[in-house]
Amino acid sequence: MNVSSLTSSELASRLSNAGIHLQTGSFITHLQTAIPSVAEGIGLLYSDYPLVEEGGFADFHVDLIPPRNLRRWFKPQVLFLSDGAPPFKPLPLDQAFPLFEWGLNWCVSSHANNYLIIHSAVVEKNGYAAILPAPPGSGKSTLCAALVNRGWRLLSDELTLVRVSDGKIIPLPRPVSLKNQSIDIIQQYEPGAIFSRKVSDTMKGTVAHMKPPSDSIFRAAETAQIAWVIFPKYQAGSAARLEPLPQSRAFMRVADNAFNYSLLGTEGFETMARLIDASLCYDFTYSVLDEAIETFAALKPPTSPT
Amino acid sequence: MQWQAISDTALRFCCWDDEFVVYNIHSGDTHLLGSMAAQILLKLQQSPSDVATLTGLFTHLPLFEMKDELPLQIEHILADLNRLELITRS
Repeated sequence: MNVSSLTSSELASRLSNAGIHLQTGSFITHLQTAIPSVAEGIGLLYSDYPLVEEGGFADFHVDLIPPRNLRRWFKPQVLFLSDGAPPFKPLPLDQAFPLFEWGLNWCVSSHANNYLIIHSAVVEKNGYAAILPAPPGSGKSTLCAALVNRGWRLLSDELTLVRVSDGKIIPLPRPVSLKNQSIDIIQQYEPGAIFSRKVSDTMKGTVAHMKPPSDSIFRAAETAQIAWVIFPKYQAGSAARLEPLPQSRAFMRVADNAFNYSLLGTEGFETMARLIDASLCYDFTYSVLDEAIETFAALKPPTSPT
Repeated sequence: MQWQAISDTALRFCCWDDEFVVYNIHSGDTHLLGSMAAQILLKLQQSPSDVATLTGLFTHLPLFEMKDELPLQIEHILADLNRLELITRS
């Protein structure tokens, strides 16, 4: 049973009462909220996601509620609760759906320590995965959104999960977070893409989320083999340019982008070493999405067995 | 003066081309080392050594035309490795 099996009113009713058990990749989230914009976002962007039996196991228990303070009368807010506790300060109520997305990222990055978790987009084609670690503003999510609208499978736009036991990339396909000009760029690039409504004045500026391609959601149990580590950088006016990066340098930069590399200790080092060992590493500068797509289409996987 | 690695089991090495990534289990720190620093560290993991002994590791290399400067260069590397808490005085 998928979210789309429920009508809008059934979904809103379920969310505000017992909640739903939503499966995203290998995680199950029990979500309860009576906030209409969250129900709207779930109905729109999570329609293809499986719902798991009510009352069963959940990795994360999430509530989105209005905090009980005086502000609720003149500037309503929303509070994200994980296992009944708020990891963040409340935000304006208008930001409830983005807060759900950010909060769920926090749940995964704070708890899923059987994976090396890298702050990075990750996409796959023909069984080979490319991870795109980069700081905010580098065009990582824009590039990721373009790639998944041109035949690449979305594994994640934000959190690359590398399984410690075997180094495989574990999919976590969730809505792609876009901000500011990137929203219009991708809406023009792929007019058929489905977006949540824009929310302005967030800590990231104006944000909207794009629904992942259905194929990426249906194949969420298929792991992938790492093949490329690519550090993207949007640079206005630049031709697409892929420059080889020494693996040792890539190691240090990916480690800087990992949430739990230090926490995992030796396992973190060994998992990272295996990841880098199996990868071709590049810096990638681009300004035109079609050129970027062509560059990615021409990528050759590593020749040696991994 | 003799130097030694902090432990013969606390360091993990990965090598790509001529650069090494070294992980210190004790501190949890990861370091990027050039080939020469890594060779010195590996040698000090095997046994304590002084600058003269370590200099002997590199005198055959054609790269070092100015061999007179090699001991000074090794001293600098030892100071760096010491600062990174990868080696100690023996």
